[in-house]
Amino acid sequence: MKMTKIYEGAHQWVMFGRDENKPDNIIDSNQYIVRTANKCLLLEPGGTELFAPMMAAVLHHAPVDQITDLFASHQDPDVISSLGLWDQALSNAKLHAPALWEGYIRNFGCESIEYVPIPDNGETIKIESVELQIIPAHYLHSPCNFHVYDPQAKILMCGSVGSAFEAANAPVFVERFDVHVEKMRAYHQRMMPSNQAKRAWIDRVRNLDIDILAPQHGRMFKGDDVKRFLDWFDSLQVGTGV
Amino acid sequence: MNSQTKSQFIAVASITSELSAVMVVAKEISLAAANAKAIAFRAGDKAKGFQPITDFINELAKETIELVTNINVYALLLYRLTVNEYRRTAAYNRFEQVAKLAIGARYADSMQEPISHARTMMQDCQRQFKRDVTQLLGQLEAVMHHARAARVIAANSRIEASQAGEYLQSLQAVAESVDKAAHTIHDNVQRCRIALSIYRNS
Repeated sequence: MKMTKIYEGAHQWVMFGRDENKPDNIIDSNQYIVRTANKCLLLEPGGTELFAPMMAAVLHHAPVDQITDLFASHQDPDVISSLGLWDQALSNAKLHAPALWEGYIRNFGCESIEYVPIPDNGETIKIESVELQIIPAHYLHSPCNFHVYDPQAKILMCGSVGSAFEAANAPVFVERFDVHVEKMRAYHQRMMPSNQAKRAWIDRVRNLDIDILAPQHGRMFKGDDVKRFLDWFDSLQVGTGV
Repeated sequence: MNSQTKSQFIAVASITSELSAVMVVAKEISLAAANAKAIAFRAGDKAKGFQPITDFINELAKETIELVTNINVYALLLYRLTVNEYRRTAAYNRFEQVAKLAIGARYADSMQEPISHARTMMQDCQRQFKRDVTQLLGQLEAVMHHARAARVIAANSRIEASQAGEYLQSLQAVAESVDKAAHTIHDNVQRCRIALSIYRNS
């Protein structure tokens, strides 16, 4: 599992992904942690198949008892089907996930972890002194969906938005936006069902100060590529990929 | 899922399937008893010896239905326990995998507590499963006891039927149906016992 530190300040962001030992028939996904002095938030913990390499990778950054919070943007198995395993590993943790999906996500096993439902209009999560904004991203692609914005690190973890599928040895950041666009187009046209929802998200996100866009699959966007991505996504007709 | 876990799931699922067949047959016995009672009533003195037998058959059917209902509830608990054991075992195996992959990681040692806890939980489930299977086997033995009793009653019924004159054929049919039902119950329950016996407490 590749680990890339993407922010280092009073707290840290680390991106995990590109697991070389992942079975070929399972999609690659990015996981992220926000590490503070005594706590660790795991964003998009991933599927059951990736649990062992993911947890082993996290142990480079935090002990088990400091993994106190999990976040799932939506209910898909590649996002959170490992929950039943985290549930048995963590003795004092919370899962922040959409209120709408609670009854669905609990099917993955959620007995000891506290499910903290996120209301439709989002909220703020506090991990020690770090305040993270939970931004609504409904219908992108799940009908109830959230992203995580860290105003201090200027990172937006944007779930499925900006996703692309890459080889295990692909770089973690977009290098040539014009080339990368073709890896995203079909996915966004197929998976994002609503231009109206897309526009609402873009309007909201354009008001945020973002250095890094961190999607759940594929490469991250930084610097000018953030604006390039928003412009490209704005002009893309979605819900047309059939 | 390993082959032992698969067999365990199959064994537990087969109990419910076999017992639902037992329940159908027990209800048939109950009907046969009601039928026999009506025939014996019509036969009057000719079937005097048959009348108490019909009450007995009915009682036996009722008790069997009650026992099977209780066992079904128990079998459902056993199924949940099997699911729980599967989850615990899967978690333990994954945690062991984490420990191997995390060699050299700064916080690798912190995995020891979850591993130890998962092992304990898994072993508790395994012990509980064996205890519950042993208890369930006892309950299944009670059903078999009823089936054996029903066969004895069926034999007595045949003797009584032979003295019932023109009602002989009807009452013999009742005796046959009770005997056949008892045989089916015995066989089905025996299959449950065989499927479960490898998991009992030694």
